[in-house]
Amino acid sequence: MKYLSLAVPLLFLALFVYALIKKVKLYDSFTAGIKGAIPLVVSLFPYLAAVLILSELFEQSGLSARMTALLAPLCKGVGIPPELSKLLLLKPFSGSGSTALLSEILGAYGADSYIGRCACVCYGSSETVFYILAVYFAGSQRKNFLKPVTIALFANLLGAVLGCLFCRFL
Amino acid sequence: MNAIFAAVFLLAGGVFLIFNPEGFLAAMLAGGQKAAALSLSLLAIYCVWLGFFNVLQDSGLARKLSSAVFPLSRRIFRSDDKEAVYLASCNLSANFLGLPGAPTPLGIQACKKFCERGNIYASDMLFVLNATSLQLLPTTVIALRLAAGSSAPADIFLPTLLATLCSTLVGGLLVFITRKRK
Repeated sequence: MKYLSLAVPLLFLALFVYALIKKVKLYDSFTAGIKGAIPLVVSLFPYLAAVLILSELFEQSGLSARMTALLAPLCKGVGIPPELSKLLLLKPFSGSGSTALLSEILGAYGADSYIGRCACVCYGSSETVFYILAVYFAGSQRKNFLKPVTIALFANLLGAVLGCLFCRFL
Repeated sequence: MNAIFAAVFLLAGGVFLIFNPEGFLAAMLAGGQKAAALSLSLLAIYCVWLGFFNVLQDSGLARKLSSAVFPLSRRIFRSDDKEAVYLASCNLSANFLGLPGAPTPLGIQACKKFCERGNIYASDMLFVLNATSLQLLPTTVIALRLAAGSSAPADIFLPTLLATLCSTLVGGLLVFITRKRK
């Protein structure tokens, strides 16, 4: 893991040295870039807030628990341990929520157990689909996202199924 | 998104109304709170990376990198818009390397450019590639496993990589197959 933590500082140092050689005014350039940060966050905020309010309602209303129970036998059918159905359901909505859940699962079943390893693979091979959707298409004129969302969710599910399969012999 | 929002909202609202009317507003406020907190941490992340990317731009390195990857990326995104394709390829590389927070501002800008040009295919492709995760090293997972006392925290590396590779390839392929032919 050591070499990975070197990557980020090296990346910055290499670029800044290169920029100095190219006679870039570093301070001016860096601050000019940061100028874009506030408008970016402001433009994202309404979409972020709506998605997070929605996922909070979903979670706290108990709908998430209900769907988890419904999903469990389906999971079993495709070879995913049913204990992971909540993780599969939560991941597309909430990054921080699923991170917390993963560490809970690891605590409950053990990090080196089959369930624990499957949970790690399911978590690591998928993304927060609805969050990315809200952020990437923030303010876009497009209305219909059914196709890309379906494809993304299906691909992530496939990744989870295959991941649990790989965990059996890798 | 409108349909999903309406459906989940009404369903969850109905459940709250019947079982727990006091919890409704509290849950919404908790969501708003999370959004406010997340925006603040995003702002911090964007400060660092947007500064970095601007230096990359000004040093002229960005242009060199973009002409190097252009031939491949323009095939992936089927677009001749050099800047958008460059942003999209940077987004993919930042994703792959797992630079925390870096892919998002790049992806947003690329997606906006694709959408302005009416290139729905490219924006779908970018979204699906991002939403299926293509990280080389799952750093968060490894850290969590270490914290949970795993004896081999990195041993999920191979199955995760294979799984995410399959999901990303299948996702990209599906976008390609279902594209609207002109």
